[in-house]
This record gives sequence, structure tokens and C-alpha cells, in this order.
Amino acid sequence: MILRPILRPILRGAPFAVLLAAMVASGCPKKTGPTATGEGSGGAVTASGAKPIRIAMIAKSSTNPVFLSARRGAETAAKDLSGRTGVPIEVIWLTPPQEDGQIQAQRIAQAVNEGANAILISCSDAGKVTGAINDAVARGVPVMTFDSDAAQSKRFSYYGVDDKQLGEDVMGELVKLLGGKGRVAILAGNQNAPNLRRRVEGAKAEAAKHHGIQIIGTFYHAETPQDAAAEVIRVDNAYPDIKGWAMVGGWALFTKTLLTDLDPKKVKLVAVDALPTELPYVEKGLAPVLLAQSSYLWGNVGVTKIIDKIFYKKDVPEVVSMDPVRVTSETLGSWARQLRQWGFPDVPEEYLKLK
Amino acid sequence: MTTVDSRMTPADSTSQRTRLSPFMRRLLRSQQFGLVGVIVALLIALSLLAGSHIDAATGQTVNNFLNSHTLIQTATDASFFAIMAVGATIVIISGGIDLSVGSVYALAGVSMGLILRVAAPGGGVGAVLLAFIVCVAVGIAAGALNGAMVVGLRVHPFIITLGSMWILRGIAFVASKAESILLPESLTRFAKSPLGLGAALYPVPMLCMLVISVLGAVYLQRTVMGRHVFALGGNAEASRFSGLRLGRIQIGVYVLAGLTAGLAAFLGSGFYGSVSSGDANGYELYVIASAVVGGARLSGGRGSAINAMLGAVLIVLIRQSIRTLHLDQNYEWIIVGCAIVVAVVLDQASARFAARRLAQGGG
Repeated sequence: MILRPILRPILRGAPFAVLLAAMVASGCPKKTGPTATGEGSGGAVTASGAKPIRIAMIAKSSTNPVFLSARRGAETAAKDLSGRTGVPIEVIWLTPPQEDGQIQAQRIAQAVNEGANAILISCSDAGKVTGAINDAVARGVPVMTFDSDAAQSKRFSYYGVDDKQLGEDVMGELVKLLGGKGRVAILAGNQNAPNLRRRVEGAKAEAAKHHGIQIIGTFYHAETPQDAAAEVIRVDNAYPDIKGWAMVGGWALFTKTLLTDLDPKKVKLVAVDALPTELPYVEKGLAPVLLAQSSYLWGNVGVTKIIDKIFYKKDVPEVVSMDPVRVTSETLGSWARQLRQWGFPDVPEEYLKLK
Repeated sequence: MTTVDSRMTPADSTSQRTRLSPFMRRLLRSQQFGLVGVIVALLIALSLLAGSHIDAATGQTVNNFLNSHTLIQTATDASFFAIMAVGATIVIISGGIDLSVGSVYALAGVSMGLILRVAAPGGGVGAVLLAFIVCVAVGIAAGALNGAMVVGLRVHPFIITLGSMWILRGIAFVASKAESILLPESLTRFAKSPLGLGAALYPVPMLCMLVISVLGAVYLQRTVMGRHVFALGGNAEASRFSGLRLGRIQIGVYVLAGLTAGLAAFLGSGFYGSVSSGDANGYELYVIASAVVGGARLSGGRGSAINAMLGAVLIVLIRQSIRTLHLDQNYEWIIVGCAIVVAVVLDQASARFAARRLAQGGG
């Protein structure tokens, strides 16, 4: 009986301890990148005598395929560079499951506290993470941004496209496809993401140059494929005379539903990104042009530049520019093979055989 | 601190009196004992399992978990949930629920950002004071609106606060034009004041969490108003017949929930240096989970402000554990979700067991 007042509250908290213990005991998957060098060893010296380099990678959301591609690129670069430098390089994936600038800021602090040697981040909300980036730099941990920058912070470099220019390019391609006239819509993703806002600005600026183009609206949505596709269908139903979509991200094309819900004879899409799931839209003529960000290179080049900075002590430019790749029916084959080379397993075989 | 819902039988009490000192009895009977025990056990386990690294700035070997930066960072991460959880717990004790706290947080933050942009762009102490007043005022107003609608419309608070969750976030979205608004530096300096602890150590949110939790506990357990909240949640009909003004109490608890959300917004927004309409999206679920893990009963009548804080700390600690132990973080939601469900099931089983023993005459 004496144990009851002790046991009741302990029971309430016990599941946490039990679950944690079970996870550890049962080998709940660890973050074992190809270059993992002993979990929890932090900055300890390895058996080979080389001190490992740990790079924390914080993308916007771990449910977005472009960031999974970036992770693959980072891990491949880490593996290659480990061989070249003789120093084990480990990529620690600290991306939140959903976009949240506050969580990203927390994870920057956590990475520093746990001895990361550098941080590679795509900022969901530049304002939220600027303080954390500056704290990390003040504590001796260099930070590089990719995809979405925090330009006011003390990060040493940014790698990505010029977002305003990319928005202009998306709208420019759409205008060409529509012959310079028609009602169009902009699919804009997360309204708080600064890079997407700049792309929308660019798209609007480009549209303003063409008197025959009328933008019916800019449509935001949760950055999941289903939410994006549902938004497109809703808007398309509400505006039957819509002729084109300028998609500043590729979310809606990560589903197959628009292949059947939209008629390529009535509407044309131009979207950013060209991952394997988007390629059928090019083939069917619904999205005759995709402007691919080489998302694999976000991670690959990001890790390479970080190693240039902290290992080779090279100067890295403050902005490393990425040029989007124009994917059309003519370049579908070469792009598909490029994706396969980068490790995408789900590239349709028929595209690999194209010229 | 006395327990609110003691299920001790006379035989238990007699048995304890014969074996333990009064201090030990009080300690063991306290609601916090078990949660603190689990938290301490986790802290020890993490310290042992975390490994170490060489600090980039000092060159010293540092435990990956047991270092001042990680401990304060963990407490800071918990503090924003915990502060809101104190208010949410008071609502839950009254038999209500508030799903809008995350949106109140966002609206308070956005309102603060917009007003500071116009009224105090240069920052300074005045900006901090103004920010505090705006956040508190917006929080209280939103809470009062929730309470008034619950009482006036006689609609279940789940529905009312579900609606206000979207309405308030929508207002924040429209008002901010979806922009992320940078706050004056003075606010960040306040929220990130090291208080003499040294660089990159920011104890202010943690201290605020402790103070607000203690104030919540005092309110609930040492004031007449607090006892009325328990009475309302425990048995609304009996409370009505005993002459309590239930509408006023209900409005009051939602005001307190809004107030704590406003305070969390003030601290959180200042700490991170910017505000947007997407802030604290989905946090209401963590807040309610913190209250429930802290032992609050969703049907009302039971709960504790201190335990809600400990619940928030425990949830954040387990999230931190996943990363400190380098487990695959994709499992975070599964682990936290399972832990919450199992915790509540065990708690209810324990309550049923105690009730049965009581019905059988104790012992």
C-alpha cells in the first residue's frame, strides 16, 4: 500500500522511459548515413586517428521529396569526400517533419550543443533562424544555407537559384506556351517561405509585362502533394476559363491525379522541379516545360563547399548560384538518366531509353 | 503541496503514518514525485548514453547532453509549450478544452509585430513594454471571446475553440499579409538575456516557465477562484446548486488560457526574433498532451499546473532524446503519440483500480 502513491505518478511517466528504452534496446533505426562514424562519438577521434567532421543538415521538411533528394546528395558527397580527405565525414539529418522555423532554430542550437562542425540549412522562415545561425557562428560553427537563404544572418554562403529570376522564368515559359494571352493562376506553396514569396514576385513581375496575361490569383497551400493537387482542382473548377498555371514549386505534380483531372488541350502548366513523379506531365504535354532545380546538388554542393571552407580552408563565395535546368520532351531522356545517376530509384524505365 | 484528487484510503494513510516521516509522506504523495522521478531517470540515462564532443569554441570535451547549453535549450524548447499548458490545464480542469492556443499565440505575435513596426521601430525598453502589453491584451481578448462564446452560445468548447483556432490564425494571416515580421532587437535582447550565465545561455524563458507554473499552482490550489474551477470541472450541477456563477468561472478560465498563450507569444517571438501567421501551428496538441501527461483529466476536475509544466518538459525531453541518442527522428511522432496514449491508459487503469479498492472498503 505504501507504494501506491509512488507508483501511480511514476506509471504516468513510465511509458516515456519504457518506450525510449525499448527503442534503444530494439535498435530503433539510427541515422546511419553512408559515412556514419560511430553514433554519439561526437568530435571524438576515430580508430584511424582522424577526427570526424559532422555536418548537421536541416532542410525545410522531411516529407518533401526534393529535400530527400538533397539529403541523398549530401550523403554521397560526404562519402566521396571522406575517401578523398581521409577524414570521416558524417551528415546528421535534423530536418523537422513539417515546416517550422522555430523548430529549425531549436535544431540549430541542438546541433551546436552536440558538437556539429558545420550546419547546412534551408530556412523555412529566415527571421526565425537568423538569431540561431548567428549564435552558432559565434560559437565557432560555420553555417551555409541552401534553397532558401537567411541573407541577414552571418552564414558564410548560400547555394541556390535566384528565386525572383526563377519566378520570372516560370511565368515567361507559360506566357510563351499560351501565345501571350489567357487567364493564369500561380500556385505558391507555403505563404511564409521567403524564397517562394520571391518566386511569386518574379512571376507577377513577368506577367505584368504581357498585357494579354491576366493573373486570377495566387493560391497558397500546405506543402504536401495532396493539398497542392486539391488546390489546383478547386481553383480549376472555380475558374473554368483558366489557361495556365505557374507553379513556383512542384508539389502538385508529385501526385498523378492532375494527369487525369486536367486536359492538356485546355490548360498548360509550368512548374519548378522535375522529379521522377513529375516527368509523365512532360510526356503527356500537360507540363511541356519544367524548370528543374538540381535538388540533389543542394546537398552535394552544400557539403562540398562546407568541406572547402572548414577542411581545405578555401574561400567560398557568399552566393553560389544554381542555374535551373529546362526539362522538356526533348530533354526528358537525358534528365531521366541524370536523376537515375543521382540515385533516384523510381525513374520510369521508358524515359531512360529516350534520346 | 496537497493533492487535489487523492484516492488514498484510510488504511493506506494509517499504514504510511506508521512507516514514514511526515516530510517523506508529503513528498511521496505529491503529484509531481513520479514525473520528476521519470525526468531525472531520463536525464541520467541520456547523460550516460549521449557520448561527447570537443567544443569548437573552447576545445574542451563536452558531454553531448549533460552540458549547460543543451539543458537550458531543452528547458527553453519546453517553456513555450509549458506556459501555454498551464492555461490549458486550467481550462481542462474546468471541464473545457481550448484548441485555439496556438492561434492565439500567432495572433498575439503578429499583432505585436505590426504595432511595433509602427509605434516603436527603433526598439528600446518602450518596445519591450509595448510588446508585452499587446501580447497580453490580445491573449486576454481572444480568451474572453472564446469564453463568452462558450457560455453565451452554449456550444461545446471543442467546437467553439476549433472555430476560433482557424478564425484567429486567419486574422493573423490577413493582417500580416503572410509576411514574416522582424521584431526590434531589444525584444530579442530581453528574451535572450544571459542573466550573467555567459554567452549563448538564455535562461529567461525557462525562468518565466517556472514562475508561471508556480503562479498557476498557487491560483489553483490556494485561491477560492482556483477551487471553484475544480468544483466546476468535478461536478457542474452541484456547483450550480451551491451558488457558483459558472459562466463567470468559464469565461475566466479561457481568459487565463489566452493570457498564457499571449505570454508565450511574447517570450517566443522575442526569443526567435520574428513573427508570422504560421507560428505555433499545431502546438495546441502538444499543449494539451502536456496537460494530459501531467495528469489532467479531460472530463474535468483534476489537474495540476506544475504537472503540466513537467509534462511539457517530459515531452520535449523525449524529443530531445531521439536526437541525442541519434535515433531516426522519423519515429518521433510515433514515439510521442504512443507514450501519450499509454500514459493516459495507465493513469485511467490506475484510477479505476483505486476506485474499486475504495468501493471494497480499502486496504
